Amino acid sequence: MRQVFRGAVLLLLLLIVVPAPANAQQEQPPLVRVGTEGTYPPFSFHDPRTQELTGYDIEVVKAIAAKAGWRLEFVETQWDAIFPALDARRIDLIANQVSRNPERAAKYGLSTTYTYSRGVIVRRTGDDRIKSIADLSGKTTAQSSTSNWAKVARDAGANVEAVEGFAQAAALLQQGRVDAIVNDNIAVLDYLATTGSKDVEIAGDAGQAGSEQVLALRQADSALLAQANQAIDALKADGTLRGISQKYFKADVSVENGGAADLSEGRGQRSTWDILRATAWPMFVGLVKVTVPLTALSFAIGLALALLVALARISPYRVLSGLARAFISIIRGTPLLLQLFIVFYGLPQIGLKFPPFTAAVVAFSLNVAGYAAEVIRSAILSVPRGQFEAASTIGFGYAQTLRRIVLPQAARTAVPPLSNTLLSLLKDTSLGSVVLLTELFRESQLAAAESNEFLALYSFAGLYYWVVCVALSAAQKRLETRLNRYVIA
Amino acid sequence: MTDDIRPDDIRVDVTGLRKSFGSLDVLRGIDFATPRGTSTVLLGPSGSGKTTLLRSLNALDTPDSGVVRIDDVSVDFSALPPGKAGRDESARLRAQSGMVFQSHNLFPHRTVLQNLTEGPVVAQKRPVEEVVAEARALLDQVGLADKADSYPYQLSGGQQQRVGIARALALKPRVVLFDEPTSALDPELVGEVLAVIKDLASKGWTMVIVTHEIRFAEKVADQVLFLDGGVIVEHGPPGQVIGDPREERTRRFLRRVLDHG
Repeated sequence: MRQVFRGAVLLLLLLIVVPAPANAQQEQPPLVRVGTEGTYPPFSFHDPRTQELTGYDIEVVKAIAAKAGWRLEFVETQWDAIFPALDARRIDLIANQVSRNPERAAKYGLSTTYTYSRGVIVRRTGDDRIKSIADLSGKTTAQSSTSNWAKVARDAGANVEAVEGFAQAAALLQQGRVDAIVNDNIAVLDYLATTGSKDVEIAGDAGQAGSEQVLALRQADSALLAQANQAIDALKADGTLRGISQKYFKADVSVENGGAADLSEGRGQRSTWDILRATAWPMFVGLVKVTVPLTALSFAIGLALALLVALARISPYRVLSGLARAFISIIRGTPLLLQLFIVFYGLPQIGLKFPPFTAAVVAFSLNVAGYAAEVIRSAILSVPRGQFEAASTIGFGYAQTLRRIVLPQAARTAVPPLSNTLLSLLKDTSLGSVVLLTELFRESQLAAAESNEFLALYSFAGLYYWVVCVALSAAQKRLETRLNRYVIA
Repeated sequence: MTDDIRPDDIRVDVTGLRKSFGSLDVLRGIDFATPRGTSTVLLGPSGSGKTTLLRSLNALDTPDSGVVRIDDVSVDFSALPPGKAGRDESARLRAQSGMVFQSHNLFPHRTVLQNLTEGPVVAQKRPVEEVVAEARALLDQVGLADKADSYPYQLSGGQQQRVGIARALALKPRVVLFDEPTSALDPELVGEVLAVIKDLASKGWTMVIVTHEIRFAEKVADQVLFLDGGVIVEHGPPGQVIGDPREERTRRFLRRVLDHG
């Protein structure tokens, strides 16, 4: 029994620690992983009726793939993580209205332009302090911090508040938390048409020059870039690009001066109730397929690690206890989000690349181990010394004493604080949304970006978390009653 | 009677035992022998080293030097190897005895019966049916046959200590060690525990007992050792050591204890 358990834990650890083979061999047709936000309508968003990823950029890149003979896999992440994901080889190409600028041209392989547009300044309706780009000096704008628009705003002297996409920026502007937004003309028109908002308006152009949007690849992938450029040229020549553009914007943005984009029809407005009804199922799927398994697996592995760390921590061997102490100190002394980023973005730089789910399990279980180790350590130390001695006088060795005498008694002390750890973990898995995991919270973000129904959607996601926590608390109570049966009459 | 016994009748043989905690010398050269089937009672003021001596017999405390032999297992503590080899040797010595603690140290998460069977089944790997049958017989012997399925918290202090004694016996030890078995008990519960120990003596168990119960020691002991300052000040049959002590230190101790008793 013990061997079986040990073997199972070892196998789990192996599965997690052994990195997935990087970039499977180049077969025909090649698999191209496309990074995109999925929260940037009308370029990249989820159709509220089908939940499918769609938009101008998505259709363009699909058309390119058809011409170039690629298989596509879409990877959705927030803007500020897109270029790191490209660097870390988690994606091969970015299709998300990447504006061409000299810095990017120097570092990445940029394709032929497939969107010509211009930047505009958005202000609260009637805010006459902001009329042109010059007025942004000393004002605060909301932008994705690594975007080209953020650079434009900074160059004009604005303070930039970092946000995770256009919908958040628009919400901040509307709430009066920032003074303006600089963004793509088309994205702004889409927002105004879809929300019907009269609270914000376009103040004017952000500078004279137009903006050109391209696909971004790694510089080393020159063959892939050449295929992309050939395909774009062909799609321009046969009118496919014009067709996609007309469908979304009633103008041809794939050439310069192709007419003014018209999005006045919007994407159709729906009631809050309809949006919630449409999102309830995808959120539930995110909960059941990602949030719960991620929590359960991370907690199980984390507890096993925590026991080892706790035993090392109280062992008389100085090296062992020193290592355990250092591990606990590092885990508890650094933010969980940072740990997650180190595993997901940092480790690939030294050749340790895990798929998103595995990376999250590694980060979360190490985090659980750091916190639970201290809980388990103090629970073990709370078992009276006489119990260890009595166990030794009936002939038990270290492992038997631990398993049959000490841990069952320590469990009583450890269950309440470990339950806290479990509940925290369940909610912390929402951080998985920043490492490409489409879990419960990410689903609510996707829906909110498309519909701007922040309050309703986030509250609904909160309800899901709460229900699971209530169930776990009930389980904790039953477990405590069970463990107390031999101490309270 | 210690003078005319044959060597193979000796169950516990202690020679040259020394132990210090830092600068405090707790045992300063202890020698004694316990013949098979006899009871040896250790008396002495607190701090005299009697509990440390008892805990040295099963290596719960590790002496600095000296030899402890119980039956056919002998450990020379001055030559004890470091690390696991030393722990294994200590464990072999420990397996020769059963221990009854002052505060019983029963396993609270196990039933009374499980407290008895745990060691024989898990550590000694003996057949379960046989062990359970013996354990029930032992519980009957200490008058607790009806408590087999109770948890320790459901018993009185005296009953708990009787289970502690039965747990030690279930291991089939060569010698049973008692560390002040009645000191933590309410006065009215002391008698039932002493009765059980007296019964064991009459059944021929070899025992080493640390106690403050002088009247009990007189009745049950074949040999009394009086310790003070880490040495055996006086030893002999109870009629001599308790009834007619030769040493002033022994007399002073007995006066003090009997006055308060």
